[in-house]
Amino acid sequence: MDKEFAKPEEYGLADLLCCAASREVQDNEIVFAGTGLPMVAIMLAQKTHAPNLKLIFEAGTLDGRPPEIPTSVGDARCEMGASRSSGLHDAFSIAQRGYVDLGFLGGAEVDQYGNVNTTCIGDYLNPELRLTGSGGNPDINSFARRTVFIMVHEKRRFTEQVSYITSPGWRVRKWPGGETVHRRELYGAAYRGGPSAVISTLGVFRFDDESGRIYLDTCHAGNSPEQVRDMCQFDLDITRVSGETLPPTREELHFIHEVLDPGQIFIPKVKPV
Amino acid sequence: MSSGKRITLQQAAEIVKNGSSLTFSGFTIWRRPFALVYELIRQRRKGLHLIEVNGGPQTEFLVGAGCVDIWESCWVGHELYGKYGANLSRKVGNKEILVEDYSHAEMMFRFSAAASGAPYAVTQTSLGTDIHNPAYDTLGNAGLRDGRRIPKHKYRFTEDPFFGAGAQVMVPAAKVDIAILCVQQVGEEGTVRVNGQFYSDPEVARAADVTIVMAEEIVPEEYLRRESDLNTITSFEVDHILEVPFGAHPTGMFGRYDVDGAFLKDFYARTRTQEGFDDFAKEWIYGLDHLGYLEKLGWPKMLNLKANTALKYSTGVKRGQ
Repeated sequence: MDKEFAKPEEYGLADLLCCAASREVQDNEIVFAGTGLPMVAIMLAQKTHAPNLKLIFEAGTLDGRPPEIPTSVGDARCEMGASRSSGLHDAFSIAQRGYVDLGFLGGAEVDQYGNVNTTCIGDYLNPELRLTGSGGNPDINSFARRTVFIMVHEKRRFTEQVSYITSPGWRVRKWPGGETVHRRELYGAAYRGGPSAVISTLGVFRFDDESGRIYLDTCHAGNSPEQVRDMCQFDLDITRVSGETLPPTREELHFIHEVLDPGQIFIPKVKPV
Repeated sequence: MSSGKRITLQQAAEIVKNGSSLTFSGFTIWRRPFALVYELIRQRRKGLHLIEVNGGPQTEFLVGAGCVDIWESCWVGHELYGKYGANLSRKVGNKEILVEDYSHAEMMFRFSAAASGAPYAVTQTSLGTDIHNPAYDTLGNAGLRDGRRIPKHKYRFTEDPFFGAGAQVMVPAAKVDIAILCVQQVGEEGTVRVNGQFYSDPEVARAADVTIVMAEEIVPEEYLRRESDLNTITSFEVDHILEVPFGAHPTGMFGRYDVDGAFLKDFYARTRTQEGFDDFAKEWIYGLDHLGYLEKLGWPKMLNLKANTALKYSTGVKRGQ
C-alpha cells in the first residue's frame, strides 16, 4: 500500500484529525476510547502502526478486535474477537488500577490547562444549555497516563475558564475550598499523568510539563499560528510551533474509507473533483 | 417448577409507584426496558427519581412525558442518533427537574457499594472537577438529603488511612427501590442469562429492593442451570419476570436485534419542544399496547433490525444514514 502523503484535494478535515489522533498511539499500549472519531482513530492505529494495541471500551469489552467500526462503545461489534466481554465495573476498575496508557476523548470546551467541559454551557445552576454530562470522560482522564482530546475548534470553545470542569486537566480545583492546584498534588499515589494533546479542527496542541499550560505544536494546512491564536480566548503560546500537521497517507485513507468506515458513519469521504 | 414470579406488563408497571426510585439495565442505546417504560408513561406515573449508571433514550422518554422529578446520573443522549438529551436539557432550563451529577465510574461504584451492602464506595476518580463543587449539590440545595433513601451528603472527602495514598472521595451507595432489566433470557425461577456485555446489570439488580426482569423469552429453568457458568444473575435476586419479545425497541438487544437508529433520530429531532414530545407520544405510546406498537412498526422494519445469529448484529441496518 502506498505510504505517500495524500494531496490536499484527496482528504477532508475529519481524515486529517483522525490520522493526527491515530499517530498519538504507540504499539502495545492499552487504550481506552470514547465513541465517534476517537474510535476510528485508534482502530486506524491498530490497522497501521500499532497492531498490538489493546482496546478497552467502557461498556465492558476488553481487548476487542472489531472488524468494522462500532456505532458506539456498547455496540455488539465491540465484542468481536474480544478477550473478554464484561461490564462497566471491570472497565473502570482496570482504569483506576492503572492499566490504561492512553485515553481518547472528546469535549465541548477546553481551557488553557486542559480542563474539559461536557456538562453545561453557562452558569451550572442556570445553564444556557445542558449537554450530555460527564459520561466516562473524567474517569478515563483521571487515570490514563496520557489523554488525547479531539475537538471542534471555535473561539468560544477554547476558553479562559470552562463553564464547568467535567474532566480534570493539569491545574484543577481542590475541594471543598476550590483553590487551584497542580493535578499531581491532588491525585497523590493515583497520579499517572494527564492531558497530552488536543487535536482541534485548526491544529495540534500540547501541554508544558511543568506549568501544564497549553501550547500550539502544529497547524493544520491553511492556518497560521497567529490565526490559531486569534481563535482562542486565552493567550495561546505559539513560540513552540514545530510546523504543519502531517497530512494523511494514502494507506491511512484506504483504511479509513474502505475498511473501517465505508458507511461514512463518522468520517465523510471527500468526493473527487 | 414454576415460581409464580410471572406477571404482565400492566402489573409490572403498577409495581412502580408515584415517587419510586428506579434504575434500568443496559448501556446508553442498548437493552433498555422500553415496553415497560412505555407502559409507565401510559399509566401516567409521576415524581419518579431515576438513579442511573448512565441515561439514554429511556430517560428521555420518561423525562419528556413528565414522569420524572429527579435524575441522578452522569450522561444522557442517543449516541450517534441524537447528541444530547434534549428533553432533559429543556426541563433543566425550565427548572422542572432536579439533576444530580456524578461521573460514570462514581455511579458504577455507588451501585456496586449498594449491591454489596456497603454504605459507600471509595474512589479517586474525578478529583479536581466541579462534580465535587459543594455549591453544586442539587439535592442538598433542595433540602432533600434525609439520610434515608437520599444520602445525607453527595460525597465526602477523606485521606487513605491504610496506605497513605492521599485524597479519596467517598460516594454514597445508590440505594434504589426498583430495578427494571431487559435481557435475552430468564428462567421460570428468575435466573438471568445476559448474552454479550452485561454492562452494570448484575450490580443494579442486586442494589434494588425489587428487581423486575423483562426478557425476550422465558426459558425452562433447568436449561439455564445446565451451564450455570454462563448465567449472569441468580434466581433469588429476581422478584418478577415477564416475557416481552422486542421489548427493548428502539434500543438494541445483543444477538437478537439492532438499535433502531432511524426511530431514535426521529425522536430526537421531533422532541426538542414539549409540543413535539406530546405529538410523538400521541403517535407511538398512548392508545397502543406492546403488540399494537409492534404492529405499527411492522414486519419489514423488525426483520431489518433482526441480528445475524453469527455476527450478533444486523447486516441490514444502514448505520450512517
